[in-house]
Amino acid sequence: MRPEPLHAQTPVRRHVEASVHESERCWKEDMNGGFSTRCRGQHLLVALSPARSVWYPVGTRAAHVCRTCATLMLTLLESLGRIAVEFLRKGSNPKVYEGAARKLEVSSTTVQQAVEGLTYLLSESSKLLISDIDFQDSVLVLGFSEELNKVLLQLYLEHRKEIRRILSELQPNLPHYHNLEWRLDVQLASRSLRHQIKPTVTMKLHLEENSELKTSVLQTDPATLIHMIQELEQALAEMKTNHCRRIVRNIK
Amino acid sequence: MELSEDSLRGLQRLADPAQFSPRAFGAVLRAAFLSLSLSPDQAAHPAVDDTVFQHIPPCHIKECQAAATMFILEAVRNTIDRAALSTFLEDCKFDKERTEHFWTEYQKHRESLEILLENIGRTPPHVSDVSWRLAYEIKTNQLYKTHRPSYLVKFNLESPDTSQAKDISFNCSMEQLQDLVGKLKDAAKGLERTSQM
Repeated sequence: MRPEPLHAQTPVRRHVEASVHESERCWKEDMNGGFSTRCRGQHLLVALSPARSVWYPVGTRAAHVCRTCATLMLTLLESLGRIAVEFLRKGSNPKVYEGAARKLEVSSTTVQQAVEGLTYLLSESSKLLISDIDFQDSVLVLGFSEELNKVLLQLYLEHRKEIRRILSELQPNLPHYHNLEWRLDVQLASRSLRHQIKPTVTMKLHLEENSELKTSVLQTDPATLIHMIQELEQALAEMKTNHCRRIVRNIK
Repeated sequence: MELSEDSLRGLQRLADPAQFSPRAFGAVLRAAFLSLSLSPDQAAHPAVDDTVFQHIPPCHIKECQAAATMFILEAVRNTIDRAALSTFLEDCKFDKERTEHFWTEYQKHRESLEILLENIGRTPPHVSDVSWRLAYEIKTNQLYKTHRPSYLVKFNLESPDTSQAKDISFNCSMEQLQDLVGKLKDAAKGLERTSQM
């Protein structure tokens, strides 16, 4: 179950290794009934199901599962890769595993493990945004043929952007700006006061939280509207100041 | 502009110099304006035991203050001009001096009373200010090297209905903030064009 000792220390390799050790420890604790929440949080990978609520363990299997792939042929890896990417998009689908397992004449568990391994490799690499060379170094240790490595690299490069987008959805969810609609009104009269001329800006602010849209209807007067624009423009301009540019330059 | 019979009677009583001396008239009028401009818990009651009211039954003072208050509110509500106000008061037997006094006091308080009346009724929460915070996001537990600016924007809200007046805070990326500012600017431009018509 344990991977070969890793020689060169690339980020993914370090991470995979650490994960494997930690997960094994967790599994042992689990056997003793002491599976701590901390371990669960750190070493379980989020299954990127649409509901984003299913957690499943992959740490231990990551390396060895990729080896399972090695026994399969190049084209099979490609199809497994597709399944893995699909997994990342939509969550796991046991039916797909069974279908693939029949075609490949292996057990569906093997397919599932292979897909989970690939998923882990892809999501972890995308999370760390490692370079081509680092990625190649990381998969080298898995002992695949050069062609398989190329396919993996291709798979990684092709889907990195999308996977990062999916991962970014997992961030702590705060209300997020989505859209703003506005309408100009002039209030002319009300029950309590006839003959008014009161210009108002009615706004409908759409916020997004946990992929649900929330709207609030707000109102303001022209003077405040101008003030809001000025304030928010200052906020945007702040990013272009020397101070911010220096910080951004130095964080690389 | 229409007033109830009770109010008309009150005004007529207030107009009568035999019942209300000029000083008593002034005191009732002042109390009427004050009771509208102060908040309910500090509403001014005419000092019934005041020496100027010595010979007037308290129920008459109350009736007259209520009538004056009603009249002021109706006048502000319908934005009546000086001529209409004078005609109405003269119909209630106000002499020239009292009408003049009423008009002077009315002018002093009109603007604040208009604001008061304008704010009665249901309106969406009013944005009174905006504050912002800029952060540079470096990484999250799910994603490394995110490297992007992130803004936290807060709209301060005011509402007559205090349960609604909860400030709104939200996050936005630079692009989203640009979008927001762009839309607000569109609204401001539309407003400017309309005001020039």
